[in-house]
Amino acid sequence: MSNLAVLPIVIPLIASVISAFIPKKLGLSRFIAKLFAIIFLVYAGYLAWVVFTDGIIVMQASGWAAPFGISIVADYLSVTLVLITSILTTAAVFYAPSSLSQLQESYYFYTFMFLMISGVVGAFLTGDLFNLFVFFEVLLMASYGLIVLGGGKVQLRESLKYVLFNVFSSMLFVTTIGFIYASVGTVNMAHLAERIQEAEQAGILTGLAVLLFFVFAIKAAIFPLYYWLPNSYIVPNPVVSALFGALLTKVGIYSILRVFTLIFNHDIGITHEIFTWLAIFTMLFGVIGALSTQNVKLIVTYNIIPAIGFILMGISLYSSAGIEGSVYYLVHDMIIKAALFFLVGALVVAAGTDDLRKMGGLITRYPVLGWLFFIGSLVLAGVPPFSGFIGKILLLRGSLEQEEILLTVAALITSLLILYSMIRIFVRGFWGDTVEGLPEGQNKKVRHLTIPAAVLLAISIFIGIGAEFIYPHVETIANMLLDRAEYINAVLRE
Amino acid sequence: MLEDFGGELLEWTVIVCLVAVAFSVVILLIRIIIGPTNADRAVALDTMGINLMAFAGLTAIHLVTTKLNDVILLIGILLFIGTIAIAKFIEKGVIIDRNNH
Amino acid sequence: MKNYNDLILRTMTQLIAFILLGFSVYLFFAGHNSPGGGFIGGLMTAAAFILMYITYGFDNMSKVLPINFRAVLTIGLLVATLSGIGAFVFGEPFLTQTFGYFNLPIMGETELATAMIFDLGVYLTVVGVTMTIILTIATDQKEDSQEQAGM
Repeated sequence: MSNLAVLPIVIPLIASVISAFIPKKLGLSRFIAKLFAIIFLVYAGYLAWVVFTDGIIVMQASGWAAPFGISIVADYLSVTLVLITSILTTAAVFYAPSSLSQLQESYYFYTFMFLMISGVVGAFLTGDLFNLFVFFEVLLMASYGLIVLGGGKVQLRESLKYVLFNVFSSMLFVTTIGFIYASVGTVNMAHLAERIQEAEQAGILTGLAVLLFFVFAIKAAIFPLYYWLPNSYIVPNPVVSALFGALLTKVGIYSILRVFTLIFNHDIGITHEIFTWLAIFTMLFGVIGALSTQNVKLIVTYNIIPAIGFILMGISLYSSAGIEGSVYYLVHDMIIKAALFFLVGALVVAAGTDDLRKMGGLITRYPVLGWLFFIGSLVLAGVPPFSGFIGKILLLRGSLEQEEILLTVAALITSLLILYSMIRIFVRGFWGDTVEGLPEGQNKKVRHLTIPAAVLLAISIFIGIGAEFIYPHVETIANMLLDRAEYINAVLRE
Repeated sequence: MLEDFGGELLEWTVIVCLVAVAFSVVILLIRIIIGPTNADRAVALDTMGINLMAFAGLTAIHLVTTKLNDVILLIGILLFIGTIAIAKFIEKGVIIDRNNH
Repeated sequence: MKNYNDLILRTMTQLIAFILLGFSVYLFFAGHNSPGGGFIGGLMTAAAFILMYITYGFDNMSKVLPINFRAVLTIGLLVATLSGIGAFVFGEPFLTQTFGYFNLPIMGETELATAMIFDLGVYLTVVGVTMTIILTIATDQKEDSQEQAGM
């Protein structure tokens, strides 16, 4: 029974290995990728159902009991994120053949993609700080492969920055884990949570917590450590950007959410106060970046950053409304970011350029794409009744409860500016005068690119409109994160 | 008394040797940076590797273990191949020949 | 490039490459209870291959050792993954290993563990990765020299 928890890591890994055997047989590897993505999707749904009905599943690798062995923990938050990841994987697999050139696709795209998914899912599921590092490395290694796919000159330049930044943060990560092991004597998350409550040197632990936060902040692109993100996320193909934007930064913020609710909450006065300020700056600076550019890809990429700010805002509040808001926003943002990246990929194909000033009047030729983009912008900005609205209302309620006026005002301003930055694409790109020299004969390709995005958008709208159905689950997740005893008991007492 | 003296002597010798090896690594690092020719750098790198082996050996004595013997052998092998590669690069400009001539 | 004489290297390689291969096998089997294992064993094997490539050149070696190292890499990954999944069949947690004692012809009573299969996967993966990276760099170098010759 406990093996249920590890299969979400193993299924993409097998898909990755199998597609590594047949990189040149495109038809077959596409079929295998689609098959495994659907198996993964169905399985993740089943696992989520099992966990939400029967409680947390823990797998101790090789049967070694918890603080000594490797624990894989499928708790409510993890399985939810695994389910979202599987949805995105499926969408990406159906989007990829139209978006990538055949050469790029045959250069081990599916191998790297599934390897990255395996790492992401592993990072969500692991119950061990050192293993979190290992899965970070797995997903980063695969992402290095994906970011240079195609190997253009700009791509290589930007990916070098990306690699250097991530190597540095990995180094810091493993050092911090060493410090934690030296001062507390364990790296198992549940065990750490117990030990830290008993430990007496709170000063050292706060120092370690901030160091760990620094590492995750690099991955999650929190102010002031986000400047590597925008340029390196726009250079690869849209499908790769979508996976990066929807998954990689979210792994960073997930780690913050996990570590700073489960383990390091002994000194909320210091750590979570820092989070509040960083959340404000992350939101404002990210959205200012989005307003500063005319490149459509860059606008969407910059919009990753305020979303991270919103999630961090909920963590900094550390109240039930705040954490619920964070979880809701995390789920919402993973889906809508992927959908928007897909739509922007289609838009760039349709317009033949990514410069907003050279676009115009696309609505006459691609009405479906245009209106989908409009809806996507509304969802992202959090216009009621879409999913962003519910996440934001929870976050704002949480911050008003604690009378964080500055945070509330910053969040409201950011929401407005996000809406403006996205609608600008719609107004300039889809309305306005038709520009001469649009590429012809792209209708079929654009239609293929639009379908996966439309499906993701539909799911996103369901998360908003079906809040009645989603909200109790989010409440369960938030209660588990705030209570901790359930998680610790599941890992250590079985 | 005498046994104690022997143990202490060994301990001190190991520590002094470790310091000396560490110092020579620093000097070699300077040689690697300033050169002046690539051949100098290659020799310095090779010597640095030998110092690493000495380091591992001294640590093994310090910890009273035989588990590090494989490590010494391993550093030696990788060093050997590395030095050959550098030497061949300096001599020919190519490390792995494409065609037999 | 004239006057290039590597008689010493060629003679020594004949000897040393086989010592290296033997040492790699030793390291691979030592890995169960003492330092060693699939990773370092694979690295040693790759080192022996690299030494042979340096000495005899790419074309000769691809005749002697017609191995597609990318395939080695993927087979290694597959073996390692499957050895972990094998535990599912017996209803045990992922990666569970077992072992037993067997009388082998030369080695006498030996402990054989299923962890060895996982280690074999690691071994193959390491050989595959190392050789792929180094030979890819070597191939790049060839194109450069052709370009230079053309210019």
